[in-house]
Order: sequence, then C-alpha cells, then structure tokens
Amino acid sequence: MSESLEKLQNRILSDARLKAEETIKEAQAKAQQTLEEARRRAQKESEEIIAKAKVEAENVRRSILSSKVRVNRLRILDEKNRIVQDIIHTVEDQLSSIARTDQFENTAQRFVAEAVKAVESDQPIVRIGFRDATKKNLDGMSRVLPKGGKLVIDEKPIDDFGGVIATDPEGRVVFNNTFKSRLERLDNQLLTLIASTVFSE
Amino acid sequence: MSGIDAVKKVVETETQARRIVDEAATKAQKVISETREQAERIRQEAVASAQGRREGILREAKEKAEAEARQSDQETERILDTYRKLSEERKAAAVSKAVALILNG
Repeated sequence: MSESLEKLQNRILSDARLKAEETIKEAQAKAQQTLEEARRRAQKESEEIIAKAKVEAENVRRSILSSKVRVNRLRILDEKNRIVQDIIHTVEDQLSSIARTDQFENTAQRFVAEAVKAVESDQPIVRIGFRDATKKNLDGMSRVLPKGGKLVIDEKPIDDFGGVIATDPEGRVVFNNTFKSRLERLDNQLLTLIASTVFSE
Repeated sequence: MSGIDAVKKVVETETQARRIVDEAATKAQKVISETREQAERIRQEAVASAQGRREGILREAKEKAEAEARQSDQETERILDTYRKLSEERKAAAVSKAVALILNG
C-alpha cells in the first residue's frame, strides 16, 4: 500500500514537472518567435523610414536647386534685357539726332517716298518733324512729293524721335513712318539683331 | 498507514503538483511579458536609429544642394561678367547695325 502510494505521488509530481517544463518551453518558443518577429518588423520599419528619407532628401535637394536655378536664370535674363534696352536707348538717341548727320536728307526723302507710296494718293499730306532739322535741309523733301502733295513741317520731332506721317486728303489712310513706328514694326528683328551681335559666340 | 492518511498524502502531493504547474505558468507569463517589452525596445531602438540616419540623409542632401546652389551662383556671376564684357566690346557694333536696320529696314 505504502509503496504504491509513493509511486502514485511520484507519478503526480513527475507529470506536474513535465507539464511545467512544457509550459516553460512553449513560453520560450513563443518568446523566441516574438523576438524574431519584432526584429523583422523593426528592420522593415527602419527600411521604410530610410526609403522615405531618401525620397524626402531628393525633394529637398531639388527644391533648393530649382529655386536657385530659377533665380539665376532670371538674373541672367534681367541682365541681357538691361543690356539690350541700354543699346535700344542709344539707338533711339542716335535716331533722334539724325538731322545733324550727313545721311539725314537721303533718309528723310526715303521715309517720305515710302509713306507717299503707302497711302496711294495723288494728293497726299505729309507731316515731317525731326529734332534739330532746319527748314533748309527739309526743303528737298518736296521733290519726292507728287504735284498735288502737301508738306507740313513740324517744328518738334513727331512721336518723340522724329519721322514722317502721310495721309490721304480725307485722312482715311494713314501711314506712320516715324522712327518710333519703325522701331515697333521691326521690334522682333531689332531684338534678334542686337542679341545675336552682343551675345553670340 | 490508514486509508485517510493515504488520501491526505495524495491531496498534498496534488497540491504540490498544482503549485509546480502554477509556478511554471507564472514563469512562462513572465517570460512572455519580458519578451514583449524586449520586442518593443528592439523596435524603438531600430526606429530611433533609423530616425538618426534619416536626419543625416536630409542634412547631407541639404548641404549638397546648398553647395550646388553656390556653384550655380558662381557660374551665374561668371556668365553675367561675360555678358557685361561682351556688351562693352560689342555695343557700338550692335548700335550701328540696329540704326542701319531702322533706317533701311
């Protein structure tokens, strides 16, 4: 009786120890699995943070650079524009004072002839006005007018820089051949010419 | 030994066995609980490390971009200088051609 009781007790304790051991092993296995999973997730989370950081860094870089490049392109454009405008002002000054040069008469006659031809009238009215032009050097203009034409001499330069405006007698057809108008008509060619002369290699 | 004593012995042994199993369960619970804390520490350390690297990557990108921006400024200054010199050298020719265009164009 005593011997079998002892066996029973040992068996009960042995079973309990075995169960305890299994419980611990299961817990340790689960712990191991939890740690591995945690390491995997941490690795993945780190990689996501780094990948986002690289994209963010590229955006930061592009933002800084594109803003700088834009500003610098504008500075270059501003400078080119300033240079071209400076040249155009000098051109305007030279055109304004053309009456003091020896090419004035030819030029003025050509302007008158062009304007008369453009209005296609037998009795054109031609206004002419250049800075510093004298009556003497405008007298020759009548030669290029048709017989019925009329020359009106302005004492002041027409349209700021001087030139010629022709109309038919009724004032329906007007041809503006002033320097200002020619500058506007030839604007694109003028800018291209100046830019290619100054900035080309 | 009487039958009652034998039963008492068995009951005591079963109590002892239950204590062994309970202690193991408590220990297992502790292992799992500590492991969860350790897992959270691993995650936090990894994230902190990644955040540190992120700061480094961003700082490096910013410094690199600023260096490139300074280079762009220098290049722009060089171009502006060139334009100013060209303008001085070629202004007279440009004015002459432009006047001719307006007079004859």
